[in-house]
Amino acid sequence: MIMASIHVIIADKSQLVRTGLTGILYHTGLSLMIRDVTDPNKLISALKKDHKGLLIVSKSFLLNCNPEIIRHVRDSFNRYYIIIIKDVSFEDQNNLEALSVIEQDDSERIIYQKVEKCLQKLYNPVERDRPLEEISQREKEVLKLVAMGMTNKEIAERLYISLHTVITHRRNITAKLGIKTIAGLTVYALLNKLISSEDIK
Amino acid sequence: MKMAEVIHTNYHLLQILSRFGINLGFGDKSIKQVCTENGIDADFFLEIINSYHHKNYFPSKHLQGFSLNLIVDYLRKSHEYYLKLKIPEVALLLSHLSNIPDSEPGQSFRLIDKFFNDYRSELEIHIQREEEKVYPYVFMVEEAFLRKNANKEIIARISQYSIDDFEREHDNVEDKLLDLKNILIKYLPVPVNQALTQSILFELFRLETDLRDHARIEDKILVPKVRFMEKWLLDNFSA
Repeated sequence: MIMASIHVIIADKSQLVRTGLTGILYHTGLSLMIRDVTDPNKLISALKKDHKGLLIVSKSFLLNCNPEIIRHVRDSFNRYYIIIIKDVSFEDQNNLEALSVIEQDDSERIIYQKVEKCLQKLYNPVERDRPLEEISQREKEVLKLVAMGMTNKEIAERLYISLHTVITHRRNITAKLGIKTIAGLTVYALLNKLISSEDIK
Repeated sequence: MKMAEVIHTNYHLLQILSRFGINLGFGDKSIKQVCTENGIDADFFLEIINSYHHKNYFPSKHLQGFSLNLIVDYLRKSHEYYLKLKIPEVALLLSHLSNIPDSEPGQSFRLIDKFFNDYRSELEIHIQREEEKVYPYVFMVEEAFLRKNANKEIIARISQYSIDDFEREHDNVEDKLLDLKNILIKYLPVPVNQALTQSILFELFRLETDLRDHARIEDKILVPKVRFMEKWLLDNFSA
């Protein structure tokens, strides 16, 4: 498989934190392209440009992000794994799925291990041998309803599941199929005869 | 550097030449000579090809001194290149694919065809918005900046809609292109004309890269320049 250099975005206001993390990351010996982001508004363009990587972001930074930026971060989930730096203690409401959390009092070795684990997951060398991921029966049901033009909320009500579960299914569907837009999912569903053209509103 | 070397270094830059109206057959002339002959600002030309060539190229400060006219004119030419040349090319190829007598696969391809057409309209709307809303806005900002004066109305407009908003809205259009690629690569019904599908994919990949480079030019040259002027105006003239 092609081993591209790995993009790492470090998003935090503190120079101390960014420089410290950069130092630790260099010890991994991997070819990393590290990019600092200090301004929440710059996060979107940082995520847009690179293909795949790691986003290391502090809680305090996330608290300064508007909902649109958060949405963008969430939408990048299949390209960027998130590591959260727990620099403030209160809970944030964003419910971002983090692969790992760095605590304030983590030692250098612990941080190193956490990051390395995520990087391994990101560029798993046996990736090409991974069996084709089929979408599950439940995911198919969700996909069908998405393709028929239903909103997440309507799908949740129809299938008696929580909104959160619908969102998780949708993420998995997109990750497995490599199709993100509703129009694209609709084409997929039609091609695979999950729905017929009469089903579309 | 000679112009021919530029192309040997990165053939993707060929399409930039056409946008600048530079014809092939420039012999051993240097970049500067070719630009002068075609009435092109050589520094600006270099800025553009460097931005395309190096992903992480950041224009140096003094090179941001180009007038917005030059930049916007280039962006407009690129838009024209997409809408009048590239997109119709892909559309034509796709229509060949779906041009099978009324069979089941034919129906599937028409679906894909329709998907691409939806993408096309979205792109058109996106570009139209840029040309009708964003460009007039940046010219307004530049004009005020050069005049070193801004009235209340201009300040209000900057506060309402800044170039950062534009950068943010800037792209979800590319998602559809990605989806289309995956549909063609992974989920096409068989039988399918392989050679034709491959050509379509090549075109889509190229279009995608090119659109991303185009967006980078906007983000790295246009946006910082306008942002700087906005800030100066707000610092000096907002109440």
